[in-house]
Amino acid sequence: MSLQMIVNALVNAALIAPPAMAFSLLFGILRFPNFAIGGYITVGAFAAFTLNVPLGLPLPLAAAGAMAVTALVVWGAHVLVFRPMEGQSAITLLVVSIAVTLILENVIRLFYSADVRGFDIPLQRPWKVFGAHITPEQVEIIGWSLAIGVMLHLLLAHTRIGRAMRAVADNPMLAAIRGVNAGRVTAFTTAICGALFGLTGVFAGLDLVIEPLVGWNLTIPIFAAAILGGIGSPYGAILGALLVGLAEEATILVLPSTYKIAVGFVIIAVLLLVRPQGLFGTAEIKK
Amino acid sequence: MPETVLAAESLTSGYGKAVICQDVSLALAEGEITCVIGPNGAGKSTLLKTIAGVVRPMSGSVRIAGREIAGLPAPRIARSGMAYVPQEANVFRQLTTHENLTMGAWTDPGRAEAACARVYGMFPDLKPLRRVRAGNLSGGQRQMVAFGMAMMLEPRVLLLDEPSAGLSPLMVRHMFDIVRRVNADGVAILMVEQNAIEGLRVAHRGIVMAAGRVALEGTAGALLDSSEVSELYLGTRA
Repeated sequence: MSLQMIVNALVNAALIAPPAMAFSLLFGILRFPNFAIGGYITVGAFAAFTLNVPLGLPLPLAAAGAMAVTALVVWGAHVLVFRPMEGQSAITLLVVSIAVTLILENVIRLFYSADVRGFDIPLQRPWKVFGAHITPEQVEIIGWSLAIGVMLHLLLAHTRIGRAMRAVADNPMLAAIRGVNAGRVTAFTTAICGALFGLTGVFAGLDLVIEPLVGWNLTIPIFAAAILGGIGSPYGAILGALLVGLAEEATILVLPSTYKIAVGFVIIAVLLLVRPQGLFGTAEIKK
Repeated sequence: MPETVLAAESLTSGYGKAVICQDVSLALAEGEITCVIGPNGAGKSTLLKTIAGVVRPMSGSVRIAGREIAGLPAPRIARSGMAYVPQEANVFRQLTTHENLTMGAWTDPGRAEAACARVYGMFPDLKPLRRVRAGNLSGGQRQMVAFGMAMMLEPRVLLLDEPSAGLSPLMVRHMFDIVRRVNADGVAILMVEQNAIEGLRVAHRGIVMAAGRVALEGTAGALLDSSEVSELYLGTRA
């Protein structure tokens, strides 16, 4: 494996680690695998595009705006779609979440068409490090991904709301008995995760392209990373993201790169057969 | 006459359409331990869950120090000066001992630090385990964490669901010692116990439940001597 492949794997991992953590956090609180994340990421990418290109805001501001918009969309989807369906089986909610992705994706296609777009940023020459190419945007993605990991850790381990998030994920009934308002914790969690999906949309727009399927194409690797790390375990999701990133790159050594997308599926299938609780998790994905 | 701190009147509750507790009335006086005994499925745990707001009452009233709490959601009841320790899943397994205790002061975080110090004083064994996840503790240690969490905000009323369940005989004695000690500090306790003899020995009063209703009540001593109790216990009338 060349240095270039390791660089590519790291970029991949940095791109899918934050949404994989968010996916895990959402699963912990809401107890179903939410495949609407594809739609959420696409919303983030297009929100940032709209603010950046037609409205002319600088990209960092556009990214912040996209995070806010996506947080609102994820919270809104929870209130309008998932909360009214509380008590339904996880498999029902999973199917509904796929529908949410399709709806979001097609609403975007309606307004923006299926054209491929990009942000309005100066084209930068990739840097060369020991023969491997890496663009400044990729370095930024890696840096932000690390920073997000640290911030999420601080949030979960050292703040009151973070402790409540873990308590509700762990034992919702006991959390209620001790006075935690699960509704507020859920609202906060959806907003935080929404912001992370929005940011992922921005990163995907930087590293890949902006098109209505951008989120959907990331869904399987994100899901694979989340269950590889142990669903409901946000720290495991980071390692899961690294492993998925490496596995995707390693595939290119032996198979044409079009098969890269299959790696996520293979990881998911093997895990569900062999170790449904993931590498670190305790919760199992159940039918 | 000591003040009544917890009063339930004609409390009926259950799950869906199934009625588990039927028309249960009880009064817990300040500083008193009342032990609820009865065969499996008599509705003892459901009674506690209903009082704690985990199960919604179908009818009836629950008052703490005169204030009506029946029908309020559990997080509101958590602010009423009553603390409930469920029988199972009574700790946050992924959280450390210390974080678990802190969750016991959720409704009044300003008091958490002093309260933790007090609870570690009560359970010195927990102090070296403060950074250990509750899921990795032994059954007895977990029970102490659960108990300590409930004691964080110095409740006036404590609801204990089978504090001795699954513990070694030594731990059971330790647990009942703690119940006595907490009660000596003025906390009124309503306790469900499968271990009827031990439970009644600690208690001042006893309630025998059968088939969702109060079958018998009286002082703990009288119930311990009663032949009717042993009869109910053997299941001949339940």
